[in-house]
Amino acid sequence: MARAGGGGGGGGGITNAVNVGIAVQADWENREFISHISLNIRRLFDFLIQFESTTKSKLSSLNLKLDTLERRLQLLELQVSTATSNPSLFTSTTTTTA
Amino acid sequence: MGTMTASSLSREASNYDEVSMQQSLLFSDSLKDLKNLRSQLYSAAEYFELSYTNDDQKQIVVETLKDYAIKALVNTVDHLGSVTYKVNDLFDEKVDEVSGTEFRVCCIEQRLRTCQEYIDHEGISQQSLVIDTPKYHKRYILPVGETMHGAIRTKSKYQGCSLDDEDDWHQFRNAVRATIREAPSSARETPTSSARETPTSLVNSMRKGRSPSPSPRPPPQRSATFSFTSTMPKKDLDKRSISPHRFPLLRSGSVSSRSTTPNTSRPTTPSSAPAKKRYPSEPRKSASMRLQAEKENTKDIEQYPSKSKRLLKALLSRRKSKKDEMLYTYLDEY
Repeated sequence: MARAGGGGGGGGGITNAVNVGIAVQADWENREFISHISLNIRRLFDFLIQFESTTKSKLSSLNLKLDTLERRLQLLELQVSTATSNPSLFTSTTTTTA
Repeated sequence: MGTMTASSLSREASNYDEVSMQQSLLFSDSLKDLKNLRSQLYSAAEYFELSYTNDDQKQIVVETLKDYAIKALVNTVDHLGSVTYKVNDLFDEKVDEVSGTEFRVCCIEQRLRTCQEYIDHEGISQQSLVIDTPKYHKRYILPVGETMHGAIRTKSKYQGCSLDDEDDWHQFRNAVRATIREAPSSARETPTSSARETPTSLVNSMRKGRSPSPSPRPPPQRSATFSFTSTMPKKDLDKRSISPHRFPLLRSGSVSSRSTTPNTSRPTTPSSAPAKKRYPSEPRKSASMRLQAEKENTKDIEQYPSKSKRLLKALLSRRKSKKDEMLYTYLDEY
């Protein structure tokens, strides 16, 4: 663009045309660069969106597993507490087996 | 050794904690960089805008801006890649921990289930000792000394439905054979078809673990039965012990005709035990004698209506002719 402003005299028309062509080419190069950058940024956003969805699904499955595990642990704790609260069951079985 | 292992474990735990702390610090740093990247990009954009408007060398500013944008994009991709990798790694670690915890919980549940099954089994065995076992009647009439002994043995064996001890088995078999030899006529006088099983087939059924029938089953032809049982296969024995038509050609006609009676109770059910209960003091009849007696009874039953007719005729004639002598004669006959 800076080069397009220079030149003068009889051959000024030709040089102006050349300068305009160079400026247009530089402009197209800049546009291409911007499109590349924007395309890569879009790809980056797509990746982030996909990562978010996969992470959310994994987190939901992990949450479900943790819920089931928590329930099973609660059931086990309840069974253990009932077993420890009634030691007569074990003592009766041990006496019969002995 | 215990202190060494404990110290090694504590070192491993401390190392694990240190590594996890370092990873978490790096993860938090990368997240902070990603957060700061936004502000850096905004500040860089403002700086290049001002320099492009104020500076004369705009081409240099544009080139610098391009380089900065490329580097910023690459750094952003690197940051995002590292952060996502760390997030995935952390997530996989948590999933592994959860699966390990599930495995432990499954192991605990299996142990608890095994303990519960053991407790149930012990309770069942404890309760089964309280239940009264059914008492079966004696199968064969044995001599006085052997009767009690054999009865106790058979009773004890019937509970388990197996005669594993060879000595007890031989003793029981010899006692049964001796009884059959002593009372060969009593073997033919059982009228029902369920009493057709041989002692050997009975013993085979007991060996196979069936619940044996308590009713005695002497064979119709004792010698032929024992010779056949030694040569016949077990399947045929079982089949023939169930069927009421065993050796029909060897029987007399009266016995074979009686074998077709509908009283075909299953040989394995002990429900017919009281009906077929027999005592040693009970008078015994042979099959032909009993049949003859039955025939005489049927003849008597047939004679009763004819006599009653004659009696009625006599009464009528008494009314008519008043001849009491004839009535007295018929009454005497009656």
